[in-house]
Amino acid sequence: MEHATRTGWAAFVVKTRWLWIVLGLALTVAMGAGLGKLGFNPDARVFFAAENPDRIALDRFEAEFAKDDNLILVMNAAEGGLFEPEILAAIGDLTGKAWLLPHVRRVDSLTNFQHTYAIGDEMIVSDLVPDPANVTPEVAAAAREIALSRPELLHSMIDPAGRYGSMQIMFRLPGKNPAIEVPMIVAEAQALAAAFREQHPGIELRLTGSVMVNNQFAVSGQEDGKSLTPLMFGAILLIVFLAFRSLAGVLMTVSVIAMSAIIGLGALGWSGVALNSVTVLAPLIIMTLAVASVVHVLASVRQTMVETPDRREWARVALDEHGAEIAIACITTAIGFLALNFSISPPFRELGNVVAVGVIGAMFLTLTFLPALIAIIPMKRREALASTDRIMAPLAEFVIGWRKPLLVGMSLLVVGLASGIPRLSLEDDFVRYFDDRYEFRRDTDYYERNLGGLNILEYALPAGRSDGINDPAFLADVKALTEWLRAQPEVTNVRSLTDVIQRLNMNMHADDPAMMKLPADDQAAAQFLFLYELSLGYGMDLTDQINIDRSAMRISVAMAEVTTKEMLALDARVQDWMATNAPDIAVTPTGMSQVFNLIAYRDVRAMLLGTVLALIAISALLLLVLRDVRLGIISLIPNLVPAAMAFGIWGYSVGAVTLAIAVVIAMTLGIVVDDTVHFLAKYKEGKRRGMTPEDAVRYTFSKVGMALFVTTFALVVGFAILSTSGFAVNGDMAKLTAMTISLALVADFLLLPALLITIDRRETMTAPAAATAALAALVGFGVFTAPTPAAAQSAEEKGLAIVQEAERRDLGWGDFTNDGEMILRDSGGNETRRIWRGMSYERDARAGEGDWSVIVFSSPRDIAGTATLTQAKIEPSDDDQWLYLPAVKRVKRISSSNRTGKFVGSEFSFEDLGSQEVEDNTYRWLRDEPCPTAPGLTCHVIEGYPKNARSGYSKRTTWVDNQEFRLHKTDFYNRRGDLEKTLTATGHQQYVGKYWRPARLDMQNVQTGKSTTLLQTNYSFGTGLGEGDFNAQRLPRLSR
Amino acid sequence: MMLRNAPAIMALALMSAPAHAGGELLGADFAELRGEASVETILFPEDPLFAGQEHNSLSFAIEPTGTLEWNGVEGLGGADVTATLRPFLRIDTQDGERTHFDLREAKVDLRFGDTDVTIGSDIVFWGKTEVDQLVDVVNQVDGVEGTDGEDKLGQPMVAVRRIVEVGDFSGQASAFYFPYFRERTFLGEESRLRPALVVDGDDARYESGAEEWTPSFAARLAGFYGDFDVGIHAFHGLSRDPAFEVNGVAFTGGQPVPTSLRPVYGRISQIGFDGQYTSGATLWKAEAIGRLDQRNLAFEKEDYAAVIAGLEHTLYGIAETNADLGLIAEYAYDSRGRRALTPFENDLVLGARLALNDAQDTSALFTAAVDTETAETVLRLEGERRLGDSFKLEIVGQAFLNTDDSSFLNDLRDDHSLRITLSAFW
Repeated sequence: MEHATRTGWAAFVVKTRWLWIVLGLALTVAMGAGLGKLGFNPDARVFFAAENPDRIALDRFEAEFAKDDNLILVMNAAEGGLFEPEILAAIGDLTGKAWLLPHVRRVDSLTNFQHTYAIGDEMIVSDLVPDPANVTPEVAAAAREIALSRPELLHSMIDPAGRYGSMQIMFRLPGKNPAIEVPMIVAEAQALAAAFREQHPGIELRLTGSVMVNNQFAVSGQEDGKSLTPLMFGAILLIVFLAFRSLAGVLMTVSVIAMSAIIGLGALGWSGVALNSVTVLAPLIIMTLAVASVVHVLASVRQTMVETPDRREWARVALDEHGAEIAIACITTAIGFLALNFSISPPFRELGNVVAVGVIGAMFLTLTFLPALIAIIPMKRREALASTDRIMAPLAEFVIGWRKPLLVGMSLLVVGLASGIPRLSLEDDFVRYFDDRYEFRRDTDYYERNLGGLNILEYALPAGRSDGINDPAFLADVKALTEWLRAQPEVTNVRSLTDVIQRLNMNMHADDPAMMKLPADDQAAAQFLFLYELSLGYGMDLTDQINIDRSAMRISVAMAEVTTKEMLALDARVQDWMATNAPDIAVTPTGMSQVFNLIAYRDVRAMLLGTVLALIAISALLLLVLRDVRLGIISLIPNLVPAAMAFGIWGYSVGAVTLAIAVVIAMTLGIVVDDTVHFLAKYKEGKRRGMTPEDAVRYTFSKVGMALFVTTFALVVGFAILSTSGFAVNGDMAKLTAMTISLALVADFLLLPALLITIDRRETMTAPAAATAALAALVGFGVFTAPTPAAAQSAEEKGLAIVQEAERRDLGWGDFTNDGEMILRDSGGNETRRIWRGMSYERDARAGEGDWSVIVFSSPRDIAGTATLTQAKIEPSDDDQWLYLPAVKRVKRISSSNRTGKFVGSEFSFEDLGSQEVEDNTYRWLRDEPCPTAPGLTCHVIEGYPKNARSGYSKRTTWVDNQEFRLHKTDFYNRRGDLEKTLTATGHQQYVGKYWRPARLDMQNVQTGKSTTLLQTNYSFGTGLGEGDFNAQRLPRLSR
Repeated sequence: MMLRNAPAIMALALMSAPAHAGGELLGADFAELRGEASVETILFPEDPLFAGQEHNSLSFAIEPTGTLEWNGVEGLGGADVTATLRPFLRIDTQDGERTHFDLREAKVDLRFGDTDVTIGSDIVFWGKTEVDQLVDVVNQVDGVEGTDGEDKLGQPMVAVRRIVEVGDFSGQASAFYFPYFRERTFLGEESRLRPALVVDGDDARYESGAEEWTPSFAARLAGFYGDFDVGIHAFHGLSRDPAFEVNGVAFTGGQPVPTSLRPVYGRISQIGFDGQYTSGATLWKAEAIGRLDQRNLAFEKEDYAAVIAGLEHTLYGIAETNADLGLIAEYAYDSRGRRALTPFENDLVLGARLALNDAQDTSALFTAAVDTETAETVLRLEGERRLGDSFKLEIVGQAFLNTDDSSFLNDLRDDHSLRITLSAFW
């Protein structure tokens, strides 16, 4: 049925090929029009969703104090140190020029540092170097001494040796056009720096700071787009060309992947969301995924072209045989990417949506536009199978022959690798997102190595009331905290207002060094600060240190070269210290670093739900496609195992991973499922055609092995190229994805077939058993403990094996017609007869279908023409059954839930007459003995216990001969456990050299003395009956 | 004996001529002649209400069926061909109108793979519910046979059917062309179980110039999806349900008094749905139609909708025996209310079906149809049992209770009856 619709679709597409070319191009143009609306948002904060609690805290903090968009100019004056007159002059000059940068709010340099001192009773506030252009060596030396004594400057603006210094330029970004503001500042700053270096060759000058971070997000995003795209294109084209040796194939591939990328990206443009450093990868990911779909079509074409020169036939066959799988693969991929919407980081949500749109676009194009192209564009025909196709056969043999060692080995490998997962540590340092190929990273490392740290934990210390910051007790706590923090090894600099207040106290006491301490009462502190602020230079106020109503004070803790773990650990220590020493002050850390510190933890948790939902949705889809619970459950293994292995490998080899890891499972799930879908669908088709598991595996390898190999190769190469991105989030994501996908192919080629053969050979396995086995395999043991059939069989296993053998011997009969007659005798010996014609049609029991049959009665004459159609189901499902009443010409669906009722007063119940499937009972072998009705033969005696509680029997004891596995006798025990009926089968005849049928069945009711004889004769096999002969609507036609 | 059905007889002639001329039955792969003959009496305990009605009734019927099959006929593109002839004749000792002949089936079925073509007179059943089948519009009611409308006249047609498999839906799509219209048969003056005014069935009036040669068309898709059996259909053509107008008038004291009615057939369009959900031992059933331009009881054209919905639940093996008891509840609604041409306009039908599942196929069906507004009630009991191998006894009892003055059931208020039929099969 499904096949028929697909054939229709394939033929339709090929027939209307020009329409699809036009439609595909029109769609691309329409979506592509959105490209013009795309902007780029370089802000590092795009990673923070508006609802991210850390971001909310940061926003609140910045509203209270200030948003630190800063630029740090790092200077190094080699030998003599910075405090030489000419160098101070240069710094002074640079300070003045820095004020001219766009959006400048404040410039802090060594020269304009607000130095306070006392002249008598008077407190003086002035620049450290009031006139940098005219500095005497004495003034310079004095300034050096002052600078090195000030803790707020040390390890931030000056190193202890006085050789490295920095200038901090603060900006107030309007945020109206983020795509322009930051790059503009950076461009002007770099021009300024270049001019400075030219003028002062002796001074090394480097740029870092958060503005540079933001700029780097933009730069590396654009660089990734620029450098990776051609690389990606080249690699894809090379792969496609090498695999198919066809320029036309390459051309088609290019069209489809480029159009898919345009569709995805265009959708982003239409949605009005700007690109960012993660979503720039979207077109590359879309292209990589689109290649996978295209390759499946081309691989099929490559196989078909060997058989026929008709290009349209190539397109039709490709769509016919792979269309559904490609569609499913694309849909699962899209689901996986859509699951990224659960991420707390908007760039990943956007990436997920863009790629999902692109992949669906790719699906549409692959199923319409591409076959249309194939039918139109001439492609060079090859006469021999591709070499990769020839590799597949030996591979299949290897897997089949070595399946047990493979199963054991792969399971051990999976467990071994997965054990590395606990070694993963989440590491999100927005500075180290960029590797040292970038000048920014090198400059930042330079800054952190020699001066201070860019990673800053911000604490807003609440004083509890307005003007509370002047409270001596509060100030004492802050001072103690500040000193404690300065003693911590990872801390480079702590900025705290207590330093200023202490110094002011000293100044107000005529620079008495003994008064370098906090004032004793809050009036004094308030007055000092007031005086100080009055005297501060332009832009140097304290609003970024104290909030408006002076109820909170800020402490900034800078750290250099620290990991996320170390930062979180420091904060934990801070919390401990506060709890012990200042329990009244509640502190929570914030700042960009802190938001990034937590983002991965939050995202891993958020994505867990998304990943589970994606897994459920994808598995449900898989079940729908495969229509086989067992295969569906087995498919979980090759779907999940690769990610576990990849994570484990990462844990052992690298350890630190960025927030990208949170989204990788969901992303790769959708991709690796593709291979599984293609593999299992073909395997199932093989099984449906009656192949053994081994043959089905061979068939699968020959049909899709090459395509899977090439697509995986293309995907891995694609993601490997992406993994060269200097932006760690993208790089990690791509590396993990590439690893996961390649391991998925390993799992699909080596583990899955071994698993399928092993499980399918134990045909007995019901779905729950398969589930158990699959889960056992997941945790790495269990499956390979399966006993070999010969060894130590239990009575249950032997019973089942015998029934299965009987079933197996009766498989493949296809269809037959026969004549039936039932003779009912009551205990008085009176006879009545019923005569009918029967037609039967075999269905695949393993696909959960029972056989179909039609019975048309001819006697007694008043019911002549009455017909029943039964489409049997495996217990406990009711069969589908229809009854045709010729008198009113009515077809009625009737209930078939009656198992125990007797058929027209005979001794046969509906259950006895219904189609019996192996799965309906559990079995136990009792003994072997001479057959009761044919003493020359030996019979197995087996007990069967119905699984369906609605059965009329507690058990059936059956005698089956060990030669041909023919039924000779059955004893039926009722629900109470008493023997109720005995059935004997005689007159066995073999038809078409294979199938045995008893001519006569006698059912004797031992409780009532009534008996019924059932005669079935005139068998005719292979009469060419089809599904159409068993259509309920056609019953009137069958009746006569 | 009145043989009123000229086209049917022509079809019979066409059908029977080659059959007799062909010697070895035309080389058919299968040939069969079987049949049924019956004697029937209807007993009425109460006296007749209307002048001219006889007390009881006695009649005889015969219905042979002949079938010929040819497999893979070359000249017809390898089609399997089945020719069927099923004439029906009833001879009634009292009512000349009941004595009638019909070709229930006189047709050729051709089968090409998944496609079936039927040419000739046939009976086609559509529907799912038990009390009445709203959607069953193909065949005309043989009104002289029973009061339940289940006996139908053969309908000349060309039908093309094709198996449709879409996903898990499996069914058949059919298109019908009906070149000729069959008029309903009505009981004559002598019969009981008729309205006060006799209907002159032969004097029908058509609201279509081509009269009985007015073509009708229908299309249907029916099949099943899992536990759901569904059908949809559309019909356009002459309504099988006539409206009535006064035909004969007598003058009593200078005032015109109607003495007889005649049926009026007009064009209608109809769409409908029928479905059944099989849930274990419970069958949920529903039928619904919408019909345009049907004349109602007041002889006005009225568009209407009607629904029947209900369920049938079977209790298997009741009382430790092999017998099954089916419980039926159905509700019938017709938007025309009292203007409806059917008694089932707002009625609740409760019933029980007993099947003994014995060698004689003994079964009984009891139904009570109650009008939810007027409380008019029709009780009906049907029972049947095979006697020996080739005889069958069937009894149908009917009683009309609480009849309402304004209802046409009122004319039947004294026609409680017991119909006994003995049939022989060969």
